[in-house]
Amino acid sequence: MPWVAVRSKRSVDPPDSRTAGGRGCPGETLYHDDAVSFEKASDEQLVRLALDGDEDAFTALVRRYQRRLTAFLSQLVGDVELARELSQEAFIRAWSALERFNPKYRFSTWLFRIGHNLGIDHLRRRKLKTVALYRTDREGDEVELVVEDLTKDPLGHFENSELASSLREAIDELRPEYRELVMLRHFGCLSYQEIAEFKEMPLGTVKNKLFRAHTVLRKALATFL
Amino acid sequence: MATSCEAIQELLAEVFGETERLSDEERRHLELCPQCCEVAAAEGALGLIFAKVLPPADPAMEDRVRAAMRTLRRRRRALALLPVAASLFVALLGAVMLGGLPGGSLLALLPVWSSQGWVSLAASVGDWNTVLTTSVGAATALFSPGVLVGAVLVSLLGLGVVAVTTRRWRQVSPWRHDG
Repeated sequence: MPWVAVRSKRSVDPPDSRTAGGRGCPGETLYHDDAVSFEKASDEQLVRLALDGDEDAFTALVRRYQRRLTAFLSQLVGDVELARELSQEAFIRAWSALERFNPKYRFSTWLFRIGHNLGIDHLRRRKLKTVALYRTDREGDEVELVVEDLTKDPLGHFENSELASSLREAIDELRPEYRELVMLRHFGCLSYQEIAEFKEMPLGTVKNKLFRAHTVLRKALATFL
Repeated sequence: MATSCEAIQELLAEVFGETERLSDEERRHLELCPQCCEVAAAEGALGLIFAKVLPPADPAMEDRVRAAMRTLRRRRRALALLPVAASLFVALLGAVMLGGLPGGSLLALLPVWSSQGWVSLAASVGDWNTVLTTSVGAATALFSPGVLVGAVLVSLLGLGVVAVTTRRWRQVSPWRHDG
């Protein structure tokens, strides 16, 4: 198990015992038996191995974060297939820039920031490519154009479509500042500490805003709780 | 340690309503406070809903990322060769100019060639045929054919390395498309 020999140059923060993992964030499924040793390694250990050229270590990070990053990005761009492509791009950019990664920060927040920037860039580009939905016909009347919806529902895998629809609506109706925190917490599965680092926001503010967001969500989804 | 209702409820939102992750004192508060108990149950249910939001994993993503990583690695190796190629070219040129390679001491000829050549080129700048003829004539007069061929090959190699390495700035993953 090569990762055992890796030593950290800085002290590693203890995991947030309360906010890390938990019911909302199930563990990642492994695809290969040889990935078991990497599963137990910390992000920092895997990053160090990847910097030494170990592709398997970086692949373990991909395995660890791909569902979470895809879920987060699918909420951002509203299309799960596109979110997968953006996630891939984020992983490749992370690999490409790994030497510039500052170990003072967490790999998770760095990766999510790369993904977030890619998502925002995509949304900006998409905005420029919009077309008018109304066109004037030969008689001069306005005709509505039927545009095929190419987006793939980020919650399309839900068995209960009614619940998925209610959850989508509940999240959409949240204030933008709450919505982003909910996306990071429940779709990105980031701990409160990681969210505070990502948003460069005091931990207390994150806790308070997520509590308020939960209060709104509990009311909106009361029939399912 | 949280003991007020608001602090307990904030904590319950944080731990997905999992009361076993609370301290003894916080759990005691729950036993005595029906409102917080209700919030704990609702947060637990909310946590179960959010547990389903992660989309299924895409096992092929690992392979695609791995393939892109190898491409990047190859490009980086090529980039590392760039200074080597440039150094070789400069060393070869220096050796030729100092007479270390066949062709005589070109150092002595260079000022003469350059002054006459540039005057000639400036006068005939409108005539590209003359420019070309003068350049080729000067080059063949100064360098032996072997050295010329070597210099051209090294230059082409250097250009190739530059072309290959600059490709790293292009989009890395070909499967990505802009919707």
